Amino acid sequence: MPTDGADKPLAELRAILLGPDRAAWEAMRQRLDNPTRRAEDVAGVLAEAVRLRSRGHSGSHPDIKLRRALQPLLEEALQLSVQSNPRMLADALFPIFGKAIRRAITSELDGMLQSLSQTLEQSFSWRSLQWRWESFRTGKPYAEIVVLRSLLYRVEQVFLIHRDSGLLLQHVAAPPAQATAGTPLEKDPEMVSGMLTAIQDFVRDSVSGAESENLETVRMGEIEVVLAYGPDAILAGFVRGVAPRKLSRVFQDTLDVIEQKKAEALHTFSGDTSRFDSCRPQLQACLLGQGRPEERTSGSWGARALLFGVPALLVLALIGWWIYANVIERRWTDFAHRLESEPGIVLTHAEKRGSNFYISGLRDPLAADPASLLPASLSSNQVEFHWEEYYSLVPRFAAQRQLAELKGQLQKRAFRFTTGSAEIPPEQRFLLEDVASQMISLIQAATALGKTVQIEVRGNHDPVGAEELNAALSRSRGENVRAALIALGVPAARLIAVPEDIEKETCSAVKEEERLFCRSASFRVTGVL
Amino acid sequence: MLKKKICMVGQFGVGKTSLVRRFVESIFDERYLTTIGVKIDRKDVTVGSESVTLMLWDLAGEDDLAQLNVSHLRGASGYILVVDGCRAASLNKAVELQRRIAGQLGPLPFVLVLNKADLRDRWEVQDTAVAEHGWPTFETSAKAGSGVEEMFLALAGKLLQ
Repeated sequence: MPTDGADKPLAELRAILLGPDRAAWEAMRQRLDNPTRRAEDVAGVLAEAVRLRSRGHSGSHPDIKLRRALQPLLEEALQLSVQSNPRMLADALFPIFGKAIRRAITSELDGMLQSLSQTLEQSFSWRSLQWRWESFRTGKPYAEIVVLRSLLYRVEQVFLIHRDSGLLLQHVAAPPAQATAGTPLEKDPEMVSGMLTAIQDFVRDSVSGAESENLETVRMGEIEVVLAYGPDAILAGFVRGVAPRKLSRVFQDTLDVIEQKKAEALHTFSGDTSRFDSCRPQLQACLLGQGRPEERTSGSWGARALLFGVPALLVLALIGWWIYANVIERRWTDFAHRLESEPGIVLTHAEKRGSNFYISGLRDPLAADPASLLPASLSSNQVEFHWEEYYSLVPRFAAQRQLAELKGQLQKRAFRFTTGSAEIPPEQRFLLEDVASQMISLIQAATALGKTVQIEVRGNHDPVGAEELNAALSRSRGENVRAALIALGVPAARLIAVPEDIEKETCSAVKEEERLFCRSASFRVTGVL
Repeated sequence: MLKKKICMVGQFGVGKTSLVRRFVESIFDERYLTTIGVKIDRKDVTVGSESVTLMLWDLAGEDDLAQLNVSHLRGASGYILVVDGCRAASLNKAVELQRRIAGQLGPLPFVLVLNKADLRDRWEVQDTAVAEHGWPTFETSAKAGSGVEEMFLALAGKLLQ
């Protein structure tokens, strides 16, 4: 405001004219300059201002500018709220979302359970066998066949029912040729509709009592009743076969559309059903179906027997053959084990080729004969042995071999005599001790093996001379040697003097030096092997 | 085609079910009455040029033990009170039921039926006791079949007014 000298009178005039208002203006200026005061003023009218703005000025259309202006602020504020304290918003939204989520989860779980129970049922049933066969025959995946065949159903009748009175508003049925004509259900839809409502009342009153809880499905043998509820009407479908879960949704959606379109007619319904004639197309659209359930039961017993019996017989035959082959195999294995445990036999290879059994290995000549070990249940024609001989170090076999060796050595010994004499010549006497010790070793070795040996002492003569004299000479030579050996400690019971005629050996040497070998006493061991 | 829901109520054993048996179409067994408390029959009548389908909800009779299931009354356009002429108590019950139904559903057309007209000489129910209510009343006999058609026609006429 200018305050120089020229303006002074003007200022005075102004003070005279505006004096009383100046204080008010000053107060106003202070209010405008003071942010705190200004905020208080705006706070006082903010709510009313927003309300006015959202309704529109003086009855005009609501102004969307405010909404647009507030939108980013609100979004940001919500974001901040979620970041700083998510729980608050979650608590606020829970009553809305909780219910919706529970419902969605329940619906999904129901669907899963239904498909699970169907799958289980189908896994072990006659039907599943048919489907597996069909899958095999047509080359389609098994899962596709299951989906094609398992959800066979047919909506045969659809009832639109007034909820309060149970009166039938509209009714549609599938073509009679395919629907099951003659069932009581078709006789009077009016009464069926009333009774359905009555049954729902009854179930609600006696089971749950809650007004909001409703029967969702009713099953009677092959027929399932699928129910959808609206505020004023009920949509009921009689379904033959297995109603898929989605059918309930189709019914509910259809009913929602009808409730919306016919809200007025439903509210004021007083018995005139002609107002609902226009709903027929919607109801007819609910007459859904997949396949023909009755086809599932077709198929003659002969075809079934062929389909099921032949594979069953094959399976039985296979099982029988498998058991038999196992038994035979087991017998061969047992036999091979038995051979392995037999002393003096080492199996190197045992295998089955076709119906025959091949066994090869090492065998001590003293070991038991493998063929004699075959059990009666196995035929010797079916087995082929290949043995390489070897000497086993089994003590029994070693002892047997030693015994055989001692026997061989002893049987090579002999005493020579001069012509016509049975006396052991003095130059032969030194042999006696040696032979006696051989005999004692032999007897001991045999006893250790549990055998009783007999040693024959055979007297012999040359072909010269009289027969009688020769026979006496032979006997005397044997007896003399025996007596000499007994005297040297050989057990008398094991020594037998044998006259030559028993052996009927003839010594036919013609030269003197050969005849010397005929005038002898030699030994033969029996009872060793 | 007009359809109306009609409830039939009365004391236990007044003969509701036998009253209508010969006059209605029925597909349900009477055992429904004892199991779920209601049985539904159908009666087609023609009033003037208009045909009306009456869906008859035969509600299980009320006695000291069993109470009328009021949820079955919802949406009814009218009702029939059945009284056994030989039992005065059944009239009292009918009066009580009428009061309860009117309290629940508001003023609805109804008729009073005095059953067992064939046993008129043994009636306990006094004409004056009936007349004091001023209700439209019909004497019927389930045994002889008299009065039933008239009663249905009259009720249907009231419904169409």
